[in-house]
Amino acid sequence: MTAKTNDGKVFYQGEKIYMPIPQQMGRGDKMGRGPYEKSGLLRDTSLPPLRTVVEKFNIPVYNEVTKDGKLSRDIIANDFTIDVELWYLPYGKKNDEGNAQMWQKVTKKLSIAKGGK
Amino acid sequence: MKFVRILFILVLVGFALTAFAAAPADKKAKTIDELVKMYDSSSCKDCHAEIYGEWNKSLHARSIFGPAEVGRTAATFKTTIEVGLKDWPGSGVKKPEDVGVKHLMLCAKCHLPQLAEAEDSVAQEIVKNIYAFKETDDQAAMTLQKLNINCRVCHQRNAIVHKWTDGNPAKDAVYGSKDGEHPAPDFPKMKTSKVMNESILCGQCHGQGPNFEFENPTQCATLYGSYNFAYIPEGGTETCQECHMKKSKLGHNMQSYRSKEMAKAAVEMRVDAQAYQWRDVATTTPAASVQVELRNNAGHAIPDG
Repeated sequence: MTAKTNDGKVFYQGEKIYMPIPQQMGRGDKMGRGPYEKSGLLRDTSLPPLRTVVEKFNIPVYNEVTKDGKLSRDIIANDFTIDVELWYLPYGKKNDEGNAQMWQKVTKKLSIAKGGK
Repeated sequence: MKFVRILFILVLVGFALTAFAAAPADKKAKTIDELVKMYDSSSCKDCHAEIYGEWNKSLHARSIFGPAEVGRTAATFKTTIEVGLKDWPGSGVKKPEDVGVKHLMLCAKCHLPQLAEAEDSVAQEIVKNIYAFKETDDQAAMTLQKLNINCRVCHQRNAIVHKWTDGNPAKDAVYGSKDGEHPAPDFPKMKTSKVMNESILCGQCHGQGPNFEFENPTQCATLYGSYNFAYIPEGGTETCQECHMKKSKLGHNMQSYRSKEMAKAAVEMRVDAQAYQWRDVATTTPAASVQVELRNNAGHAIPDG
C-alpha cells in the first residue's frame, strides 16, 4: 500500500507478502525457489482458505524536525490518497509483463483538519 | 502332418507376438510427432467444438510451454536442467544432451504425464526445443505447444485413480459421466469415471507437496494438500470442478491465478482508512490508520507451492 500527496509524491509505502516459503531440498533454513529444489515448507504466510486475514498499517503523515530545540512534527499534506493494491507475482517483479497480475485496487481520499488548537 | 501342425502353431504365435508388440499401450513414442499422435485428441472437436475451444484457451493446452505471452513453464524446464540436473552429482546430467525421460518426468509428471510412454529421444527433442525457443511464435515454441494436457489425458489416461479397484483405463474408451456407445472410430466406448467430478481427479497433478516417488523429489503445486488439510477442516464442501468449471462458467477453460474473474471470486478485499491527529502535550502528530481485510473464498490457500 502507498500513501501519496495530491501532487503524486509518495510518503509512505508498506508491503505484506503472502506465500508458502518452501524449504530448499527439505533441509536447513534456506528457501527453495524452483520446483526442482522445493521440498516441504519453512513457513507459510499464504492466505488460508475460508479465513480472513487482517492487516493494519499506521501511516505517519509528518516530517519530524527540531525548531529552536523543540521537536515538531510538520504535516506532509492535509489531503492525501492511499492506494491498496493486491498483486499476484508468480515470478519477478510488478513490472514483469505477462507474469505479474494486479488483482484488486482500492483508493481512498483522506483529510486532516486544518487549524484548531 | 506333425511338422505342418507345429508350423501352424508357430505362425499363430508369431501373429500373436506381432499384434502384442504393435499394441499402442506397449509402443513407446520415438519422436514428438509420434507422442502427439498417440495422444491426438483433435478429432474430439468434431463433435465437442465448444468444449475443445474452451480447453484451447486454458493453460492445459500449453502445459509445457506455459502462458502464451511468456512461455514461463518452458523457461522453468530449462532452469531445472541448468540449475538443478547439471548441478546434482547423481543425476547423470552434465549437459542438456544427457537429459532423458526420467529427468524430465520431475516436471512432466504433471506437465506432460504421457511422456512416460516415450523414449529418451523424445525427451531430447523436447530439450532441444526448450533451448531453441526465443519468441512465443517461433517454430520451437509452436512445437512445444503441441504437447499438452488434452482430452485424452483427463478423459482416458488419468480418468481412473484406483486401478486395482476400477481397472486400467481402456484405450478404446473415453471416460466421463455415463456408459454407452461413443460415435468415434478410435474411441467407440463411453465409460463412467468414478472420479471425473471429484477433486481427486485434479489432485493427481495439483499436488500435495514433495513428489516422493522420484529419486530427487520435486514440489510444484500444493493445492490438493491445501484443499484436504486446510479447506476441508474449515468446513469447505465444494470440489475443484464446481468452482473452476461450473461456478466460473468457464467450463473446460479452467483458469486460476492469471484470470481476473477467478481472482475476484477467490479473494474479497475490504479497506477501511481514517486520518487523525494525535496529541502529546505540545506535539501534534498527524497520522492515518489503514485496515485491510482479505477473505480467501477459494478451496485452497492462495497462492500455493
